[in-house]
Amino acid sequence: MNKFRLFTRNWWVLHVIAIAFFFWLGHAVHLTIVP
Amino acid sequence: MTVRTYVKSTLLASLVALALGGFLLHLRIHPFTHSPSKLIPFVSGLLSLVLVPLLFSFRKTLSYGYVLNGMLVILGTVAMAHFSISNWPKPVSVGAILLKTTLADIALLWGKFFVGKALFDLELYGYDRDQAKKGITCRYPNYGWWMVHLVVLSLVYYLGHLVWR
Repeated sequence: MNKFRLFTRNWWVLHVIAIAFFFWLGHAVHLTIVP
Repeated sequence: MTVRTYVKSTLLASLVALALGGFLLHLRIHPFTHSPSKLIPFVSGLLSLVLVPLLFSFRKTLSYGYVLNGMLVILGTVAMAHFSISNWPKPVSVGAILLKTTLADIALLWGKFFVGKALFDLELYGYDRDQAKKGITCRYPNYGWWMVHLVVLSLVYYLGHLVWR
């Protein structure tokens, strides 16, 4: 795999992980902490 | 010791001090549990305290440290802003927004971002005081790139909160 294709693949993998994580976080965080 | 090593060490110490402060503040406010609201700050704090300074220490891993530091700042900003919106002060006033929300915590967190940015830029572009700043604002590693990521990830977080209940 050449460098550009590797970069493109890694770019997609990182973005899918980041979007999935933030989407899950929005769902998972229940703000029960009362200051 | 060269000026470069001296400045780098100072910025690294600043990163560690800010991360330690944030980590201990979170521990003081709420103990560590398995709930994501408490687990995420704990894990983020640990990463900021140990992994980020380590990645920033070596030129080969500098970019990873820079991206991880920025992403942790975005994560903290989004989560703490969510917390403040959920616990919005009543009655609302400028004083209440300044002192009774997580605005101060978010400002401190962005301090950590700017220290990381300074460290990254100094290492990447060198220490020549006459060198002109180059690069397109909206492209990595400039501020516009971070702004786009902050906005998009905030929207994704909000969508997750709104759609997936």
